[in-house]
Amino acid sequence: MSVQDSDSAPAGTDSDVVLIDKRPFVRVGARPNIFRYIGQMWSYRHFILFDARARVAGSAANDALGRLWMLLNPILNGATYFLVFGVLLGTGRGIENFLGYLIIGVFMFRYTTSSVTAGSKAIVGNRPVIRAFSFPRATLAVATNVRELISNIPTFLMMFVLVLAIPPSEPITWAWLLFVPALALNFIMNLGLGLFLARLVARWNDVTHLIAFGTRAWLYLSCVFFSADRFAGNEPLTALMNANPMFCVLDIVRDILLYGGMGDPARWLVLGAWALGALVIGGLVFWQAEESYGREQ
Amino acid sequence: MSETPDTTTAQETAATSAGAPVILRDPLVVIDRAGLTYTVRTRPPSDESTGMRWTGRVQRMRTTSVEALKPLSLVVRQGESVGIVGTNGSGKSSLMNLITGRLRPTTGIIHATSTPIMLGVNAALVRTVSGDDNITLGCLAMGMTPAQVEAKRPSIVELCGLKGKLHLPLKSYSSGMASRLQFAIATSIDPEILIIDEALNTGDAQFRSRTQARIDELRQQAGCVFLVSHSLGTIKNMCTRVIWIEQGELIMDGEPDTVTAHYRKYTKLKSEKNYKKAAAHRRSLQASLAPLTIAWR
Repeated sequence: MSVQDSDSAPAGTDSDVVLIDKRPFVRVGARPNIFRYIGQMWSYRHFILFDARARVAGSAANDALGRLWMLLNPILNGATYFLVFGVLLGTGRGIENFLGYLIIGVFMFRYTTSSVTAGSKAIVGNRPVIRAFSFPRATLAVATNVRELISNIPTFLMMFVLVLAIPPSEPITWAWLLFVPALALNFIMNLGLGLFLARLVARWNDVTHLIAFGTRAWLYLSCVFFSADRFAGNEPLTALMNANPMFCVLDIVRDILLYGGMGDPARWLVLGAWALGALVIGGLVFWQAEESYGREQ
Repeated sequence: MSETPDTTTAQETAATSAGAPVILRDPLVVIDRAGLTYTVRTRPPSDESTGMRWTGRVQRMRTTSVEALKPLSLVVRQGESVGIVGTNGSGKSSLMNLITGRLRPTTGIIHATSTPIMLGVNAALVRTVSGDDNITLGCLAMGMTPAQVEAKRPSIVELCGLKGKLHLPLKSYSSGMASRLQFAIATSIDPEILIIDEALNTGDAQFRSRTQARIDELRQQAGCVFLVSHSLGTIKNMCTRVIWIEQGELIMDGEPDTVTAHYRKYTKLKSEKNYKKAAAHRRSLQASLAPLTIAWR
């Protein structure tokens, strides 16, 4: 008996057995191996770029001031921190060019916070697209990070302008070009964290609350508005601070933009290790659950 | 392509007796004992406590497992149009989600020769970006290159009939307009294995005739088609084979006229509140169904 006419089979037929050649078949929705997956992501690069660009344009449409908020937000934040920590609490004492120090801290940290938060929602915020089409889901996390990078470009430019304009104004040097690799490492780290967290959030939505808390705690622990010198003499705290990738980002950028240096090599090394580690681990963790993202939790 | 392939010519070796293995030619989709059980968090239905503390309620949340689809086996071949019938909650959508790979079966396995594409209008795409950008995004998400997207764009615009509104963000569209756009995007590629959801029959009369024409076109080009619909007329017109699923189990599999007649009788008995007779009818049909065993070679 064949499958075709199984309903017209005489009652009492035990079972139909069909023999099927396995060769042309693949399991539907099967997750490809990691190398093919990366290859697929490359073929979706146009999707990633277009998705990122389209959403940058669409994201500001709700506010009357539109994209101006990308500048206003860190400026208002910076002003608040300056008032509280610089003027009222005096944590900036002893820091050369505290205003520039604070501006770089706030602006750079804001980029990481928004990237990681948005990256962690790459799956839950895109369920309609995920359900409608089959494509490598990690493209969504990459697109989210590219979007955050693009939409933060005015913020970075504003940061340069403020560093140049606010006395003591700093001269532009060739070392400023090192800002690009520093930002690239920061981007890679954010992408890795976003991939890792996106899987967790897709599985347990409660994690979003922890992320909000975690980024806030990270902000307070990364020398955004105080100097790491206050931990001098406390070995464990200093070691912890040196291992903190965001402290490394801020320290490198400050050294480049404010203090005419090229960034401490140790900081570059720690940041590079974090970026690579986060990308590899986050990527593998995300890829492992590739088949589960269509499911509503 | 719409006629049922002759079973005797389709077999490379003829079965000499019931139960002997048969080699099927041109299978496109093989469902091998695939079943779906999912767990949901629930609260007990009656909340007898009045002054219960919040923590107490949290503790009483428990998980229930729901068997949406009992393990079933099916083989669908080149040239078949398979209609799927069943009352609400019977497991039709679960089966379709398994075939597209959106959900992974909890038992068994589903193989296909190429990625099945599902046409449904369950959700809008990206609400904050314009219709035009949604076309680009959707097409890129289906794996087209930018050049292919531009080649397809005129026909998509033509089909959705939203010319002049495509620069507006999707959130300003009515649900009907959004579903037309999604339909036009989803049907812009010609899949080998096509799954059509009943919800496509929404929209005004003018659009419906256009969708009908496009679906017919796709059906003729596709290798095989699954059609989920509550309209038995549509099913009889379009399909060469009908599968009836009820309460997560396969009840019948065969000629459209036979299956729809039995299904009609069942729903009629149910609407007359003659539940016992309906269940008996269903069970007798199910008992005469010869289970299918798939052997791979």
